[in-house]
Amino acid sequence: MDTDKKLELIRRKTRRRYVFSLMTLAVYFTFVLNWTDAGAGLGGFLGDTKISGSLVLFAGLIILMIVFELIFLALNSRGDEQ
Amino acid sequence: MNWLQRMGKPFSALVITFLSAPAALAAGSIDGEIERQPLNPVAIIMFLVFVAITLGISYWASRRTQTSKDFYTAGGDITGLQNGTAIAGDFMSAASFLGITGLMFVGGFDALVLAIGAFAGWPIMLFLLAKRVRNLGSFTFTDVVSMRLDRRPIRIVAILGTIVVVLLYLIAQMVGAGKLIELLFGLPYEVAVISVSVLVLAYVTFGGMLATTWVQIVKAILLLTGVTIIAFLVLLQTGFSLDTLFSQAAAIHPKGEAILSPGVLFDDPIQITTIMVSMLFGILGLPHILMRLFTVPSMQEAKKSVFYASLFMGYFYLALIVVGFGTVIFLYNNPAFFSADGKLFGGTNMAAIHLASAVGGDLLTGFMSAVSFATILAVVAGLTVSGAAAISHDLYAEVLCNGEPDSRKELQLTRITTIAIGVIAVFLGILFQNENVAFIATMPMVVAASVNFPILFLSLFWSGLTTRGAILGALVGLVSSVGLIVVGPQVWVSVLGFEEALFPYNYPALFTMPLAIFTTWIVSVSDSSARGEIDRRNYHDLLIRSEYGPDDGELQVAKH
Repeated sequence: MDTDKKLELIRRKTRRRYVFSLMTLAVYFTFVLNWTDAGAGLGGFLGDTKISGSLVLFAGLIILMIVFELIFLALNSRGDEQ
Repeated sequence: MNWLQRMGKPFSALVITFLSAPAALAAGSIDGEIERQPLNPVAIIMFLVFVAITLGISYWASRRTQTSKDFYTAGGDITGLQNGTAIAGDFMSAASFLGITGLMFVGGFDALVLAIGAFAGWPIMLFLLAKRVRNLGSFTFTDVVSMRLDRRPIRIVAILGTIVVVLLYLIAQMVGAGKLIELLFGLPYEVAVISVSVLVLAYVTFGGMLATTWVQIVKAILLLTGVTIIAFLVLLQTGFSLDTLFSQAAAIHPKGEAILSPGVLFDDPIQITTIMVSMLFGILGLPHILMRLFTVPSMQEAKKSVFYASLFMGYFYLALIVVGFGTVIFLYNNPAFFSADGKLFGGTNMAAIHLASAVGGDLLTGFMSAVSFATILAVVAGLTVSGAAAISHDLYAEVLCNGEPDSRKELQLTRITTIAIGVIAVFLGILFQNENVAFIATMPMVVAASVNFPILFLSLFWSGLTTRGAILGALVGLVSSVGLIVVGPQVWVSVLGFEEALFPYNYPALFTMPLAIFTTWIVSVSDSSARGEIDRRNYHDLLIRSEYGPDDGELQVAKH
């Protein structure tokens, strides 16, 4: 592979790195909503349970970030094969 | 008054120590007088068994540690799964286990901001750093940042950042270890600190990174096992219903249902944001963590190891929800865990240990106590290797010998440096035993986020970075982060005794990291020196190598 093609591929991979990082940072900092008026609804409970929206958000964020990692690894491994 | 001050010194110490040093012992029990527990023979036996196992690992590893590469990176032969477990071990710490559960015992949900902060750095590590750092470095992150810049000055600055972070981290660890042993086993503080140092020196001096990694793996597995058992036993009592768990916790806790939602401990979104920035970007700049990326044989394994680490930590922090609310259910209504004046024995940091006792008796208590102590040993070992590498590899081999040292002499120097760090750690641990160590422990994460992360990130992703910009940016990051911590509430008011802090936040990374990045940018773009031109031109080659590795396809893990 010549240098130009390598650079093009690197640019594409770098964009992917930025996209995944920015998505992660965005969901990470949504956790701050818990302490703002905009996120007041998170303090409520789900139905008749005592499971608060904030707790669901915490668990959801961890799972979502792991899913991001899985997708990133899958995309990368497909790219490596190509 | 900020929330830390309102909550009082022991509580703030607990939080701060966790924030600053995820692997550190939470400081609620390491600040001020320790109320000793009755000796627990099961804990002592398990502690001794663990020490025997880890010394055995060190002996085994010492027979395989012949070269600098063996010492710094375990020969580069650790698998992704093993390395991921070791990385997770670095973070699933006594602070995470004891600190977060202790905080949940006091304030419920709010404590989880620390868990999300400790977790979220890992996906970013995978996306941005793992592959590129692995492809460009040899032993340390300093190798990476010096690749395209003027190696001598940038190495010296990076070494400075590494040593500051490692030493600050070590002080908190040593004082924490000393106090924990004092608490659990009744040994005098000085003896406890010296014992920890001797054990760690045995691991590191003879077994290097191989022993350190395996000690970390063993500890991580034990901690995950312990947390799983406790969570299972708690859920067993609540019929495996989370709703029942939370309902019972809200019914028992003095704050009631408020503990299930935000607002009990924290009320300022900026404080929350700066905590989250400090933790996430601090993780990305910790030298002993970055060093682990070089212990695997390929970039694929490096990426896998970060993913496995995330997976283990994700599970761990989710399990802590059960453990944390479990402490509320099992401890608040049981006077056996409280002293006559209504305080939890050993402080709130001991909530998790008391929960182990409540659901699993002496056996589980002993097990978790030994695991908590093992955590400190393992983290101190990792820090010592990182500090030794900064001196013997980065300074001696790369700066003083221009990258061509006598390998035998370098290894000798590494071992001497290890012993020196051990002695310094004991000295500092004893020196700071009566001080408020919380402020010292605050600094490593903030400093790593403000010094190491900006130069590492910009060297990998910005073609315009120059040596001059990197050096000035790093120095501004170092001075501003340390300076703002000193004039912040925790030092200025709590330690130095002034009426009011000059800066309102304890964790200034939200301000100091952008300042360091801005300084690096403005100096780099205005740098018209010949060296600046070379630095910019070097980016092209660095970029290709960072994605493809060396031209022959074989990663050069060691240069000498």
